Amino acid sequence: MGYCVSIKRMNEILKELQKEYKIYAPVRFEKRGRYSDTDLIRYAEINSIEDVVYDEKSDFSPKEVIYPITQALFYFTEYEYMESKIDDKKILIFARPCDINGFRRLDTIFLKNGGTEDIYYKRLREKVKFILMECKEGGWDSCFCVSMGSNKTDDYSLAVRFEDDNILVEIKDDEFTNLFGDEREVEFTPEFVTSNPTKVNIPEIDSYELLKKIYDLDMWKSYNSRCISCGACTAVCITCSCFTTLDVTYTENGKVGERRRVHASCMHEDFTIMAGGLSFRKTAGERMRFRTLHKIYDYKLRFKDEHMCVGCGRCDERCPELISFAATINRLYDEVKKLKKAETTKDIK
Amino acid sequence: MSYDIDIKKVRRNCYRQSKVRGEFMLQIRVPGGVIDAKYLSFFQHIAETWGNGEFHLGVRQTISIPGIKYEYIDEVNKYIRPYIEEIEVNLCGVDMVVDDNGYPTIGARNIMACIGNRHCIKANIDTTDLARKIEKVIFPSDYHIKLNISGCPNDCAKAHVSDIGIIGITKTEYDYDRCIGCKKCVEACAHHATRVLSVEKGKIVKDSCCCVGCGECVLVCPTGAWTRNPKKFYRILIGGRTGKQTPRMGKIFLNWVTEDVVLGVLKNWEIFSAYVMNNKPEYIHGGHLIDRVGYNKFKEMILKDVKLNPEAMVAERVLWAETEYRSNFNVKPVTQR
Amino acid sequence: MSVNIMLPTPHKIIDIIRETGNEYTFRIETNAKVKHGQFFQVSLPKVGEAPISVSAMGDGWVELTIRKVGKVTNEIFNLKPGDKIFMRGPYGNSFPVDDFKGKDLVVIAGGTGVSPVRSLLKYFYEHPAEIHSLHLIAGFKDEKSILFKEDLSNFRKRFNTIYTLDKDKIEGFEVGFVTEHIKKIPFDSFENYNVVIVGPPVMMHFAALECLKNGVPEGKIWLSFERKMSCGVGKCGHCKINETYVCLEGPVFNYTKAKNLLD
Repeated sequence: MGYCVSIKRMNEILKELQKEYKIYAPVRFEKRGRYSDTDLIRYAEINSIEDVVYDEKSDFSPKEVIYPITQALFYFTEYEYMESKIDDKKILIFARPCDINGFRRLDTIFLKNGGTEDIYYKRLREKVKFILMECKEGGWDSCFCVSMGSNKTDDYSLAVRFEDDNILVEIKDDEFTNLFGDEREVEFTPEFVTSNPTKVNIPEIDSYELLKKIYDLDMWKSYNSRCISCGACTAVCITCSCFTTLDVTYTENGKVGERRRVHASCMHEDFTIMAGGLSFRKTAGERMRFRTLHKIYDYKLRFKDEHMCVGCGRCDERCPELISFAATINRLYDEVKKLKKAETTKDIK
Repeated sequence: MSYDIDIKKVRRNCYRQSKVRGEFMLQIRVPGGVIDAKYLSFFQHIAETWGNGEFHLGVRQTISIPGIKYEYIDEVNKYIRPYIEEIEVNLCGVDMVVDDNGYPTIGARNIMACIGNRHCIKANIDTTDLARKIEKVIFPSDYHIKLNISGCPNDCAKAHVSDIGIIGITKTEYDYDRCIGCKKCVEACAHHATRVLSVEKGKIVKDSCCCVGCGECVLVCPTGAWTRNPKKFYRILIGGRTGKQTPRMGKIFLNWVTEDVVLGVLKNWEIFSAYVMNNKPEYIHGGHLIDRVGYNKFKEMILKDVKLNPEAMVAERVLWAETEYRSNFNVKPVTQR
Repeated sequence: MSVNIMLPTPHKIIDIIRETGNEYTFRIETNAKVKHGQFFQVSLPKVGEAPISVSAMGDGWVELTIRKVGKVTNEIFNLKPGDKIFMRGPYGNSFPVDDFKGKDLVVIAGGTGVSPVRSLLKYFYEHPAEIHSLHLIAGFKDEKSILFKEDLSNFRKRFNTIYTLDKDKIEGFEVGFVTEHIKKIPFDSFENYNVVIVGPPVMMHFAALECLKNGVPEGKIWLSFERKMSCGVGKCGHCKINETYVCLEGPVFNYTKAKNLLD
């Protein structure tokens, strides 16, 4: 069922929804971008439909809505741990197809990996319903969702297309039908991007022998000088899920405090460092290799269905050193092709 | 050919005397160093028609055209009339009458600026825009002032060696929840700036007192925890100069002031200069004028009717550090007092 | 609401044994069912969590041998018997003890690597009938870093032991790295055997190569990995190597798997 809703009516509907839901969407933070006089677009609660930035790609992904960058796990006094609490309200997220597909990857890590559920993720995830936002035709320059097969989804409650004066809404979830009862009915289902300007070829890594040769590729070394290990790529990634836990005490008395987790980045030098100082993957190139292989090789090897990377391209957009992840994948594809060719030639000889 | 030329009059018209008798170099103003590329052919025409075919990228970002014979100056002045009109009046909004006589004064020198945030990753301000606004305030004037604008405390435009130097700074703001404690900002601050950041309990603590406002923390922050306050802030340095006798670095006069304050201060500059020189402009630069009456008098006059923003900080004293090419240069015989 | 896997529970410290200047063994009250080679996430509120392997276990207790190397462990060293320590776990897999039974077993351990195999060694020490033979090579840096002195001297009675120090020459100890002594193991005389190697990454790497050189098949070698861990339950990502989470599929790996766990 589709409806054509005016901006004014949409805002009234949002107001109604806000009684039960916190509504999140990409929002513009003026002049808060990395460079002077540039804006930052990231997820935040909205109060009106005009707050939604629908015609640009957000710098940061919606993962932070349900997987906050800093999250208290427990509050402790001297002798006990108390689980942190969350708001009762349910959550609506305006999200692109790639991000909705990305949440499935987060679900895999937090709710399935190791056969246990992370309750901090679960308790927020359970509250989420998606409002699918259509992308512009072909997506944005750095998008490669089609290559990653994450350009489509049917996992949404509402879908929206922003027009000049109206918003077209598709309702898939009956819960919301009543709200739109008085609106003008129209034929509308969202259209998905079917081709991106950026395309990637995923190398097929089918043996540990090949994997070892990939480890030795010179291409990784080129990132030793290019990558500054800032972790901007992982911070914006919808599928990056790593975190570090730490305890902090409140300054006033030093006796109570919290155990919290904060996002961590495998691109940072200290990601693997253990108490005692031993660490692994000491160069930027090795860390780049680790991240690349995780996104387009070993996640799928472990969980079977799909690669971790959804091709949102945010890492490309946000890298201050202009390293393109899409280009990295394609470079690896070419190198793997060469390695395989060399192997076949050797066999013939 | 024998010449009888009032050199000072020609200089005031922005033509500088050449070692070749009767030849001059025209210094064309380019406020802030940025103008449309279309003017390149205009400069080329002057150089090839009246000059010696070359041009110099003036150290104060003028387009300088050498080899112009004295007798062509009138023709050249007629030719540059539309340029002065377009740049000074239309682009910068300077309140002046443009005629066939070329530039009216050389006193307030071309305003120098780095490329600023129209291009530069590090810049905190639009230096070009500010230069044009300041041009309107200081030009034309017979009182000499060299004014340099840098987009960030890196100071590529050398605000530290100008009479008045302006540096774009940013008040960075910290979002505790977005910070992952990765220390990239701490490293960047220690490497590029003044080591004001440190980690405490997994988050960042800032010693605001010594922050130079460069914004390196914003540039390196992976999560957007550090952002710039959208309001633009400026640092004003005074009294810097080069020169044969007592070159010196400028010192901070105002810190964390707004554009309104910058423009307000500059509006008072001519009044201050006129006061120091009894309304008789001499070829003496700003730093020397401050020296003559002392910093306190300068401060009183230059801040007159300027409404300082709440964040503003004002130097109580200025401790000059001059390079004295003769020891005790400032200790002079009574006759030269 | 489901179980909170991050929630630690308080446990009483029964005893603290000083092994070396900066390594203490804490005996902690718990009824948790622990297997040889597993680890706990040990924590103190205010200080944080750290993964610590079990070095011994008994009825109603486990022992954790802790090295003073960081914020958490430094603070743990201030605790006294009777104090509470917080734990969650045990986590990870374990040595395939049933597989080891009735066969010959070679244990090669270096430094703190002795901790994760100590419970295994103690088990076979207490149940000598369950193992055909046990050869132990234990190496330490110097005299003052020797761990579990009493156990080591007991082990001499029932196991074939080679104890070695990197440089110091003292009675009862050879000189040199553990790798130098591997050739002394009579692999040829074994009918069916396993080799356990635990220690710092470099030591494990070279000890495994030395074993292979001595004709040990890859499938008979077992290693225990140490990695940074924040959660111990496959969520935080720190310990991942390719598709493998050390906290879930490890820390014990057969060499056939371990050789592909490249960093």
